[in-house]
Amino acid sequence: MTPAIEVHGLKKEFLLNTSGASSFKTMFLWRKTATHTHLEVLRGLDFTIPKGECAAVIGRNGAGKSTLLSLLARVYKPTKGEIKIHGRMAPLLELGAGFHPDLTGRENVFFNGIILGLTRAEMRARLDQIVQFAELEKHIDAPVRTYSSGMMARLGFSVAVHVDAEVLLVDEVLAVGDFEFERKCYAKIDEFRSAGGTILFVSHQMDAVRRVADRCLWLHKGLIRDDGPPEAIIREYELADAAPGVEPS
Amino acid sequence: MREELKELWRFRELLFTMVQRDLRIRYKNSVLGFFWSLLNPLITVIVMTLVFKSFLGNNTPNYSAYILASYLPYMFFQLCLLDSAQSILTNLPIIRKIYLPREVFPISSVISNFVHQCLALVVFFLYLLVVYAFDRRVFPLQAGAVLLPVLLLINLMLTMGLSFIVSALNTFYEDVKYIVSVLLYLMFFLCPIMYFSEAVYQKSMEKGGTMLYTLYHLNPVAMLSVAYRKLLLAPQPVEFRGKTYDPLPLDWGLLGVTALTSFLLLVGGYALFNRLKWRFVERP
Repeated sequence: MTPAIEVHGLKKEFLLNTSGASSFKTMFLWRKTATHTHLEVLRGLDFTIPKGECAAVIGRNGAGKSTLLSLLARVYKPTKGEIKIHGRMAPLLELGAGFHPDLTGRENVFFNGIILGLTRAEMRARLDQIVQFAELEKHIDAPVRTYSSGMMARLGFSVAVHVDAEVLLVDEVLAVGDFEFERKCYAKIDEFRSAGGTILFVSHQMDAVRRVADRCLWLHKGLIRDDGPPEAIIREYELADAAPGVEPS
Repeated sequence: MREELKELWRFRELLFTMVQRDLRIRYKNSVLGFFWSLLNPLITVIVMTLVFKSFLGNNTPNYSAYILASYLPYMFFQLCLLDSAQSILTNLPIIRKIYLPREVFPISSVISNFVHQCLALVVFFLYLLVVYAFDRRVFPLQAGAVLLPVLLLINLMLTMGLSFIVSALNTFYEDVKYIVSVLLYLMFFLCPIMYFSEAVYQKSMEKGGTMLYTLYHLNPVAMLSVAYRKLLLAPQPVEFRGKTYDPLPLDWGLLGVTALTSFLLLVGGYALFNRLKWRFVERP
């Protein structure tokens, strides 16, 4: 079993500004000094996702799911601990993030692919394929600001699955297109997995978790509360959710 | 720093594409396109020449070329700092969602401004040719122009280093860009754009030595303005308080000091940027 994602002792703290002293002006005028409180979002995670596995991360709001994904995507730097990702990683933290509204769809696809680590030549070779998958042949030369959110989402997804990533990080974004496109997305994900790709995704939709995941991580208040087959974890999670008075120790 | 440079090299394709994109967006919705970036210095120079020639009675031949030679690099410096001050903040939505070395943003704004600077210099030489056609007193090409790449390199190091510092700090304190624009305004007068550095020399001698003159040239932006002028254009006798003085040669030692300062600023600025860059997304 070769690991695709390795996480050891991962901790993440954020500083919260509680005084409102965010500029020199407020600091000088009101003699405020910036006071910060530490917010511990992740309190020590350890897990390994083997190559080819599809893992879902579930949990209540504020459990640290998105922070975890952002850390894996290297948007944040861990406060402590380490993360190893083997192979090219494509994050889908928000569809269409990094699209510039004034550029055309084509220019944006090109640019996005290069951010994800492809060369210009490689990008030119697969532009048509990406556009075709997103079903945007007619609009691809219009500026992205004229796109609907669904069109933007389709284009973003299409880029992410066409860059030959080995690890895909997805944050609650599959439920954006219409039914037909959703079906296509799932088909593409299955194809991606049968080619040996690894997926880590965050979702609040238990149906989606049941449908694609073969492992489920339950994140609670910055710690992994449970880890195992989706069906069992979801049942437990929903039980705990229905009785919010029962807080875990 | 070695790791960071390696990472940056890995993303060179991205950098190239970003510069391309930057140049394309900048004038995408404007009819005159690239000419906008020339219009600004041209109008400034026309107005300045008019004022100096007509109102202040300055008779230096081809005075506008001397203004332009110093003003173009100054404008490059100014635009780079103002652009890169905003570069991290405007791209924060991207930085929050996807990994890429943060320094590509200030670097690409400096490079795309540099491309403009080079195009502007081409126009500058064309302008000298046109002037030469009418006025044979000023030959358009000097031997010193061979060293233009060296000047551009020093200029690039200086600007890049300061851009790193400004863009990193402005991400945490947006006051920085206002402070920078005030300082840039003052800097304009501390550079020999509307006057000649020989005037500074005379004033310095009146004060009893070359100290003021040396101090003046320790400002790397002023030193570069002097160097551009002296290397690209023929030396001119300078009028100062009614008397005419011989032009001074370029002080290589002081230019060397500027080169060193610029290099140190580049290394220091990049180090500071790297220290702060992971906190951009989580600024409180």
